[in-house]
Parts: sequence; C-alpha cells; structure tokens
Amino acid sequence: MAWPEPRRSQALLAGGAAAAFALSALTDPRLLAAAGALAVAAFPGGFARTARRVAVAVLPVTLGLALVSIAFARAAEGRWPDLTPWVALVLRPAVIAYVTLSVVRRADLFRALAPFPTATRLLVLTLGQAHALRLLAAESLLGLRSRMPRRPGALDVLRGAGGITAALLTLSLRNARDVADAMRSRGF
Amino acid sequence: MHVPDGFLSPQLTLPALAAAAPLWVYAARRHFGRAALDALPAIGALTALALVVQTLMIPLPGGTSTHLGGVVLLALLFHPLVAFVCESLVLVIQAVALGVGGVTVLGVNALAMGLLGPLAGWAVHRLLRGPLPRVAAFLAGWLGTQVSTAAVVGALGLQHALSPAHLPAPLPVLAVAMLGPSALTGVAEGLYTVFAMALLRKAAQRGLA
Repeated sequence: MAWPEPRRSQALLAGGAAAAFALSALTDPRLLAAAGALAVAAFPGGFARTARRVAVAVLPVTLGLALVSIAFARAAEGRWPDLTPWVALVLRPAVIAYVTLSVVRRADLFRALAPFPTATRLLVLTLGQAHALRLLAAESLLGLRSRMPRRPGALDVLRGAGGITAALLTLSLRNARDVADAMRSRGF
Repeated sequence: MHVPDGFLSPQLTLPALAAAAPLWVYAARRHFGRAALDALPAIGALTALALVVQTLMIPLPGGTSTHLGGVVLLALLFHPLVAFVCESLVLVIQAVALGVGGVTVLGVNALAMGLLGPLAGWAVHRLLRGPLPRVAAFLAGWLGTQVSTAAVVGALGLQHALSPAHLPAPLPVLAVAMLGPSALTGVAEGLYTVFAMALLRKAAQRGLA
C-alpha cells in the first residue's frame, strides 16, 4: 500500500539523507558496488537519465582527482599505489549522487514541507524570486551580447555581471518589501 | 569548489553540521528579525540573488569557464552572517531541489564557502576601504575565494589524515589541484566585486538603491 502524501515524500527525503550519510561512511568497493546495484534496483525508472547526470557531474571530478593522485604517487614512490581506495573514491560519490538524484526526482518537496509553513513560504519566496531574477539576468546578458560586435570576453562579462547584480539587488530588495507588505495585508 | 558528497566521512560531516546549525539560527535571528514576516522576504530575496549570481558564467582563457560566487559581495553589503545564511540556503536548494552538491557535506561547505571566505573578505575590506576602496573590494573578492578554497582543502586534508582509505588523495595534490585554479577564479571574483560595488555606490549616490 502506497503511503499518503506528505508522508511519502518526507519518508523518501529522510531515507535518502540517511542513505547518503550511511554510504559516505563506506570504504570497501565491494560494499559500494553492492549498494550501487541495490540503488539501481530500488530506483530503476529513469536509470539512463540519472546515470548520465552522474556521469557528467560527478565522474569527471572523481576520476580526474584519482588519476592525478595515482600518477603523483607513482612518481613519488616509484611503484603503483593500491588502487582499492581510489575505486572506492570514484564509486562512493557516484552511488550517493545516484540515490540523491533518484530521491529528488520522486519526492515532492513542497508536499514534504507542507506541515512546515515557514519553510514552505521561504522556499516559495526564494524559488519564485530566483526565477524572476534569472529571467532578468539572462535578458541582460543577451543584451550585452547583442550590443557587442564580437563575443564578450571575461572582462566584458564581469563588468556586465556587476551591473546585473546592482540591478538585481535593487529589484530583490524591493520585491522583499512588496512581499512583506502583501503578507502583512493577508494577516500573517 | 565545494566538497562533493562522498569525499568526507560522517566523522567530519556530522560535527560540521553540529557547528553550523546554531550559527544558522543565531545569524537568521540577529540579521533577519525574529518574526517570519520580517525575515522570510529578505532571506528569500538575497538567497535568490546569490542563486542567480552563481549561474553567471565567466569565460576563462583556454576555453574553460567559471561561475561567480557573489557571497563576498553580500558580506560587504550587509554582514558576513547574512552571507552565511544566504549561501547555506543556496547550498540546501542546490542539494535538495536540484540534486546538485551534497547533503552530507552541507555543514562543511556552508562553513567554508558561506562563513570563512566571506568573513575574510569582509575583514580585509573593512581594513582597506577608507584609503583604497577599489583595491579593498578586489582583495575582498580575491581573498574570500582563496580562504574558502583553503578551508575546503583543509577539510579534505584532515579527512586524508584521519583515514587515507576514505580519501587517498594527499594534501599536496589537493592543494595544487584546488588552490591553483582558485587563484585565477579569485581574480574574476575580485573584479566582479569591484564592478558591482562601484555601480552600487553610483546608484546609491543617485538615490536609486
């Protein structure tokens, strides 16, 4: 029997966080591989998409660090180091990321936060404002690009980012005042 | 530059969370007010600002790019504890709503990137802002980035010292891999801080901000 909301999403998020902490303590590659297989079995839907996101976001960092460090150890000690901890270091973040992404896809954050109105309001305010500010920032950067005969360099973008920040800051503080007034008028 | 999930064991992540939690409560109450009506819109607005600034990509030589932090700027404009609260929320949203970053390393990342870096930038800015305002803003942005990165490297180095089986990368490799690029991205953060501060000063003089 499926759990009703918001308990289902709360249980998923709490379970995901507990699993992430438990996985972060593992150092045996065999255990991590078994945990990875278990995670795939528990969250089979969207495997290709989630695995691709893990491969793009996590593996370049862990593989790069592992390869550089192994080469460093080989040069310093004159022999190949034990690869077991490196395999674990590559597997651990990948399995945790797979679990986190799978849980985030399945949990409804707003429903999970439903019993906590303050947290819900904060999340709604932040994401709503971020959406509005992001549109403005994207428009400003496109405007910068259209005004320049060449592709903007680092200094152009930095100067543009300074201007965008000044505008966003003014706008976000004004939005905050508007929201506070709106909340007050609704009796919060 | 933040620590990904899986690099640090609960031996470090749990004490970091325990250290960060009371600071979050203290900072939110001190700078955003006790009433939700005062606090929520302001925290939401500044967190959204930090979230959006971190999506602005700066092209770097060699075809790569970096993103801005913007947290030091928040510390200079408001207070380091304001920056700490907002950056922590950015990290929470990235981890929980977008599935990016890390849940287990939230405390470590918040302390390194949200508190120590902005605090160092704010301190150097307070020291130098009188005689050299532009230099102070640049150094604040640059130093804030370096201190945050050094704190992250320190946490990773401590993990290696506690358990090489957990994080086999030695401190010299971590330091070279992280502090080298950080010196370059710090320049971008410093220039961004200078430009943003100058524009905000101009806007304030014209009564626009």
